[in-house]
Amino acid sequence: MTAAALMTAGAARLARAADDSTAIPGKRPMILHNDRPEDLETPVRYFDSWLTPVDAFFVRQHIPRPATIDPAAYRLTVNGMVSKPLQLTLADLQKLPQATVPATIECTGNGRGFYTPKVPGIQWGRGAIGNAEWSGPRIADILRAAGASSSAAFLETDGADVGVASTPDFVRSLPMKKAMHPATILALKMNGQPIPDIHGFPARLIVPGWDGTSSVKWVIRLSAAAEANKGFFMNPGYRYPKYALPPGTPARPAELEVIEGMPVKSSITAPEDQSKLALGAITVRGFAWAGEQAIERVEVSTDGGSRWHDAQLSSPKLPFAWRLWHLDWRPSDPGYYTILSRATDSSGRVQPIVAVWNPSGYLWNAIDRVGVTVEKA
Amino acid sequence: MMTGRLLWLAGVAAGAALCADPAVVARGQKEEARSCIPCHSLRLIHSQRLSKAAWNKELDKMAGWGTVITDRDALLEYLVANFGDDKAPPPPAMSQDGVKK
Repeated sequence: MTAAALMTAGAARLARAADDSTAIPGKRPMILHNDRPEDLETPVRYFDSWLTPVDAFFVRQHIPRPATIDPAAYRLTVNGMVSKPLQLTLADLQKLPQATVPATIECTGNGRGFYTPKVPGIQWGRGAIGNAEWSGPRIADILRAAGASSSAAFLETDGADVGVASTPDFVRSLPMKKAMHPATILALKMNGQPIPDIHGFPARLIVPGWDGTSSVKWVIRLSAAAEANKGFFMNPGYRYPKYALPPGTPARPAELEVIEGMPVKSSITAPEDQSKLALGAITVRGFAWAGEQAIERVEVSTDGGSRWHDAQLSSPKLPFAWRLWHLDWRPSDPGYYTILSRATDSSGRVQPIVAVWNPSGYLWNAIDRVGVTVEKA
Repeated sequence: MMTGRLLWLAGVAAGAALCADPAVVARGQKEEARSCIPCHSLRLIHSQRLSKAAWNKELDKMAGWGTVITDRDALLEYLVANFGDDKAPPPPAMSQDGVKK
């Protein structure tokens, strides 16, 4: 069926009317990149707690979300290279040992809007990221229960969402080593509550430290497989050049690689870019995370990078989860200031001055920068 | 009316290829409403600023995913005229409060 055939003119008018209705149920006012399906960015002013509240957590949907899943009717299929294929109910999943993992989820394209030249895709700023406490059974326990073969190299995960017209289905593959990691879970809860529909009810894969697209929502099938899925969302989607390209040049398909662990990154959440502040005590704040590593250090400059000061970091220091940071600053003079932040992780990676341009605008992690005007009180 | 037509012709002469034909652009906007809205909101398009080559590639991608675009040239002209990479990015749009009190 073609996209054009999917809707009558009347339905198209209704859809357009829906575009003008911009409240997203369960969400505070968010930066609205797309409301059908929902692509919502968290304004930086909401990033004032270690756990991002669900009502402020960013949303990235590739295709329309499925109709709300009835928890009583829900079944998770576990198949492929397994000795005992399973159909698990939500109650079965709740009976398995439950792990709780604090993990930051960041959209692969977070910060895309900062790249020059511009690249297609949602023009995310700083806020396609959030940190939540996820709870549910370990993937390793589910696969053991199904008797997954030790020769299966990948775990394939499918969500209940399906593409419009011939838009590809959202299916992702994960190397078995990462799938079996004790922190990789099928989350049933987000910050202690059942995962809301918009974030993947009733079950969402959580792949700590990897790009957000790995964490498939509305999971209905886990398959042990010999090879990675070859669909659009594995190739060419969500791939990154093995060798850096001159900005503005096309990708070389044979040299694109699947994105795995995320880079080291800090962002400034206060003061906001181009804001005006009264001369006096000012707190510079932000968050920093480093994929599978932990954040070791965040430095801040308030003079464009001449001098750097160590920021205070929040506890705990964990892999997978961000740390909040702040620096108390008291400028002696009014005027315009350029504030920078730079993170270093536990493996020694340092946030670069220049992010690596790539045709899909993934993995923006340049030193963050805001400009503020300090005025006499 | 004649004056308007002459002014428009003068604009075409002065702006050469930079100045898109308003009638074509208007047709392109209709084509956008017909072929894009069934699958996603227009915000996804209107928030981007891309070169003609990049918009062209996006149309190829959408056609590959099942969209039937009948007035393709007009749609491309419309996208470049309104959302070209020479245009300033739009200010961020905010959703309304959806948290039930």
